[in-house]
Amino acid sequence: MRATFFSLLAGVALVAAGFGQSNVAAQTRSYTIGMSQCNLGEPWRVQMNADIRAAAAQHPELKVVFNDAQNDTLKQRAQVEEFVSAKVDLLIISPKEAQPLTEPVARAFEAGIPVIVLDRAVLGDKFTCFIGADNKKIGKAAGQWIAQKLGGKGKVVELKGLMTSIPGQDRHSGFRDGIAGTDIEVIFEADMKWLEPDARKEMESALSRFDHIDLVYAHNDPGAHGAYLAAKAAGRDGILFVGIDALPQEGIAYVRQGILDATFRYPTGGAEAIDTALKIFKGETVPKKIVLGTRLFDKSNVATGGQALP
Amino acid sequence: MNFSRWKSALASPAGRAFLALLLVLAAGAIFNADGAFFKIGTHRDTLRQASVYGMLACGMTLVIVSGGIDLAVGSLVALAAVCAAKMAIHWNWPWWQVVPACLAVGALCGTVSGWVTASLRVQPFIATLSMMVLARGLAKYASGGMKVSTAVQNADGTYRYVEVPALFRAIDHRVLAGNLSVVTVIFLVCVALAWLALSRHRWGRYLYAIGGNEEAARLSGVPVVGAKICAYAASGLFAAVAGLCQAAQEQQGDPEAGSGYELTAIAMVVIGGTSLMGGRGGIGLTLLGVLTIGYLDKILSINAVPEAGRLVLTGIIIVAAVLTQRRGRT
Repeated sequence: MRATFFSLLAGVALVAAGFGQSNVAAQTRSYTIGMSQCNLGEPWRVQMNADIRAAAAQHPELKVVFNDAQNDTLKQRAQVEEFVSAKVDLLIISPKEAQPLTEPVARAFEAGIPVIVLDRAVLGDKFTCFIGADNKKIGKAAGQWIAQKLGGKGKVVELKGLMTSIPGQDRHSGFRDGIAGTDIEVIFEADMKWLEPDARKEMESALSRFDHIDLVYAHNDPGAHGAYLAAKAAGRDGILFVGIDALPQEGIAYVRQGILDATFRYPTGGAEAIDTALKIFKGETVPKKIVLGTRLFDKSNVATGGQALP
Repeated sequence: MNFSRWKSALASPAGRAFLALLLVLAAGAIFNADGAFFKIGTHRDTLRQASVYGMLACGMTLVIVSGGIDLAVGSLVALAAVCAAKMAIHWNWPWWQVVPACLAVGALCGTVSGWVTASLRVQPFIATLSMMVLARGLAKYASGGMKVSTAVQNADGTYRYVEVPALFRAIDHRVLAGNLSVVTVIFLVCVALAWLALSRHRWGRYLYAIGGNEEAARLSGVPVVGAKICAYAASGLFAAVAGLCQAAQEQQGDPEAGSGYELTAIAMVVIGGTSLMGGRGGIGLTLLGVLTIGYLDKILSINAVPEAGRLVLTGIIIVAAVLTQRRGRT
């Protein structure tokens, strides 16, 4: 009897404490953002999370919960559902694939949770805002820069990412658009699967086949770095190297070290996602789709943070 | 030489593995990509590219001969590469500390796999699969998920750039007037060591005996557990050497390095004619297998064959080579 009384008392005290806490929380409204990242195995996605973390750190009222789906669509589905049942104030998702994640995202949206979709899209229109970059535009910017740099003619090696992936296809076709109408000739093209050792291998083949190469365009910076190492080992000078992505510890570092001649940023959109989230919390309307521009980094501007391209 | 001697030479696994290599080389001579196949540099590059896989194949041969399999070697490449880059680039350790420390990490992980499979009697496939996941995790943990490169992040988020360590430069160097890569020399040393162990040492005999019939080996007094643990430890050691070479050639430690390498290493061993059932095979055969796959890869590359075609052709050729090996035995 006595024990029951004390446990009741304890229960009342706990409930009171709980109320007290919620009162405090109400005074300084804080927001919880759930971030579902599809694969933290990619450095670029690690950077995306870092950008989100850095942007959110400026706003103490924001709390971001990160989840890594480890490149597994079903895992990411489950994560979205967990965020919905945890009633986060906003969901940011960088989906692995469009089709299987469209429905979970739509359900979150219909449950009243604003959803920002980053980098890769979902189908339909049941989300609040899509933020992403355009690989075709970046490839085209690279192509135009290369055409200008080479004076409209030259022999180029193209080291492609993965031609079965959309970014690979877009960086390829955009580049071809960019050099269209010039006398630039792509003398060797190969798939290096985004991997540095493979890029070095393919570049060695190109070097043993062609005595004259003006420039290497690689679909990512590690690829361009691998090509540079191959050319250097073969004692071949006078080749320019151009990459894409411009991560601080990769492409930008390579340009600073004089390894790459140019790199084009593929923006993560992390900072923009937090900006958009704040606007949503303030009740402002945000555009349905935000397309991010790229930035060019070369020897002349790398120290000053690159040059924005439209 | 008369016909029957040719026939008996071809009936041996070595003869068949050699035939496969000759066929691939002949294909290279035909599809020579405007003469690129006949340049010395092409062969030097082929050997360099095959070397890292070849080192893994050396350790893999020891394990496969004992009737096991080691799926962890690809992840151990990444772990060793990250450790090497951390120690050499970030901590500025001299080479005589980096190399033993790196090799110790690999050997230790191999010993754990061996202990789990030999003493705790977990199937090699499962034991080394666990180590494959574990080592990949350790590599990501140690590197923070980023490549460990010469761009070192300061406490305030800015980057400073350090020199590529002398150890990395020495490994990614060439000897013999630029005609032989140092990594290839390291690979050949690995081949020699594995050959000595397998063909000239009692331990090698034990591995063949265990792979042939583990129970019979135990009954005849072979120290089964110890010999098996040593095989996995050696495989881990060779994987660490490969990881060190990988880091030196990339000038960085990539936690994603080496994924899928274990399968290439297994294919190289099997194409050579070493039986996955254990008890049969050898390092000489593996060397032939390494060269076959290495040259196949190079020929597809100099001809700039699209990725889809490469995968299909490689798959077909591996099956064809293994089928020839099997017919050689019956």
